[in-house]
Amino acid sequence: MTTADDTRLAMQEDSHLAMQGTIEALTTGDGSEPVVVNLGPQHPSTHGVFRLKVTLDGEIVQDAEMRIGYLHRSMEKLAEERTYTQNIPFTDRIDYLAAMSNNLAYCLAAEELLGVEVPPRAQAIRVMFAELQRVASHAMANGTFINDCGAWHTPLFYMFRDRERVLDMFEMTCGARLTTNYMRIGGVAFDLPDELLPTLESFLADMPERIADYEALLMENEILHARARGVGVISPELAVNSSLSGPVLRATGVPWDLRKANPYCGYEDYEFDVPVGEQGDCFDRFLVRMAEVKESLKILRQVVDTLPDGPYLADVPLHARPEPGEAYARVESPRGELGFYLVSDGGPAPYRFHCRPPSLINLTALKEMSVGGTLADAIVTLGSIDIVVGEIDR
Amino acid sequence: MTTRYDATAAMEIVNAGTPGASCVDGGVLFLEPESVADSIRTLRDSEESDLVFLSNLTAVDHERHFEVVYHLQSLDRNHILQVKARLTDREDPVLPSLTGVYHGAHLQEREVYDLFGIRFEGHPDLRRMFLWDGFPGYPLRKDFLQMPGQIRAGLPGFPHESEENAWPVPGSVPQRPMHPNDPQPEGDVVVAEDDGEAEA
Repeated sequence: MTTADDTRLAMQEDSHLAMQGTIEALTTGDGSEPVVVNLGPQHPSTHGVFRLKVTLDGEIVQDAEMRIGYLHRSMEKLAEERTYTQNIPFTDRIDYLAAMSNNLAYCLAAEELLGVEVPPRAQAIRVMFAELQRVASHAMANGTFINDCGAWHTPLFYMFRDRERVLDMFEMTCGARLTTNYMRIGGVAFDLPDELLPTLESFLADMPERIADYEALLMENEILHARARGVGVISPELAVNSSLSGPVLRATGVPWDLRKANPYCGYEDYEFDVPVGEQGDCFDRFLVRMAEVKESLKILRQVVDTLPDGPYLADVPLHARPEPGEAYARVESPRGELGFYLVSDGGPAPYRFHCRPPSLINLTALKEMSVGGTLADAIVTLGSIDIVVGEIDR
Repeated sequence: MTTRYDATAAMEIVNAGTPGASCVDGGVLFLEPESVADSIRTLRDSEESDLVFLSNLTAVDHERHFEVVYHLQSLDRNHILQVKARLTDREDPVLPSLTGVYHGAHLQEREVYDLFGIRFEGHPDLRRMFLWDGFPGYPLRKDFLQMPGQIRAGLPGFPHESEENAWPVPGSVPQRPMHPNDPQPEGDVVVAEDDGEAEA
């Protein structure tokens, strides 16, 4: 005889089985109709107005397609109507998390066109600020990456403390924190203020301890390993073929760093290593960035010790008209190979102004990195590439 | 230090496979448009040139022709080569896609298609990237939103150089339309004169 209790138990059993089947189908995919999910354009994991359209079978990503252009400001067209000096503030807005590196790359290209010699003190100051920018940018990249892995905001704000100190140094030197507009064609806009070097000294004194703290907190962290090890793997061959650069390329084991391969601003005089990863996964990208911060501090130490005296800006006319020709200058920005391709027709403004954006080109292999993994892994992968949407869309 | 790869040596490698596919001008390798993908594949696979990394791909509108510019890099030998292809057809410029040679050309070719209207044949997903489908015109072309009486957008000169270049009095110059769908100014558009540059 069936009691009400038995019926209830049977129903519970059924629903339990059904639930299990659903969970199984969700996690492994049962080959039924795929679901399309939009991440973004407004979503915390996309780090800006960036939309990722993923096709899911259960929780497994079958296809990932990015839709961009929400921040397109047509900088390359605007730059054709402004003089070479007027274009420097535009480069801040291309990659607003590494404005110094962008200033530097653009000024190097313009200097190549104009044939300008940069004084040694200006070179050293440029290296100093490019490396400070790398420390700040990697702090942001690693902090948000760990945030994407699920460590909600604690490591991010630890790293923001260091970034804040760097931005304070920017502010005391050029008056701005993000959009610095500090480099000039032929040098830098202002000499170092008196209070900068003592601030930098105390920063360099504190940082090793901070980094040791982060390493103790994160390197052996089981959750971080579980979320990032073996996720978003890319082979070195595909990484080179996809034109990836920066930490994403070096995490695959390819030691390609323009500061070593094509030294600019006197990088050949400083001793530093190029950290590389082994497996090319998200965790290696994180490790490479952590190691690069240490190398940047090494370079900063040497710059402070050998800072030459002299002029900080070469004598370049404000109204410069370069000879007709073209220049392609590249620097190793925190995100990778950042290039500016300028064409001059002898006029006061560039005939063509093109930025080779590492953020955009590093996304070429996003589909290859995320297909076959789960949706949660795709978010970690996107976080590990360290995109800046201003640079993707320009 | 990255050196420039000798363009003449590159020309010899390319022309050994496809005679007459390339020529050299001013340290730059010029390729015949229809053979671009094959020639660059030869340069990538050749032991001597070893150009395995596509550093940059972009285009320049020279008014009489488009120039598509490639910067190819060798990581092991640390040299860079600049390669160009000239397209004279402004109505429908077509070039073979490099996506079969370098996966990294994928987004860069889409960007060039979006902003210059140069089609890359064989590209698996050639759609507009920054602008929406149906956007009228290609913004980085020099004749986009062109004002009558002016050869092209851009700075004519510095104000101190001549009176013509002085900053205009506000309101004295017709406003350039801000969007291609806005009413366009009336009048004849000046066509740029031939600058005498030889066609490739």
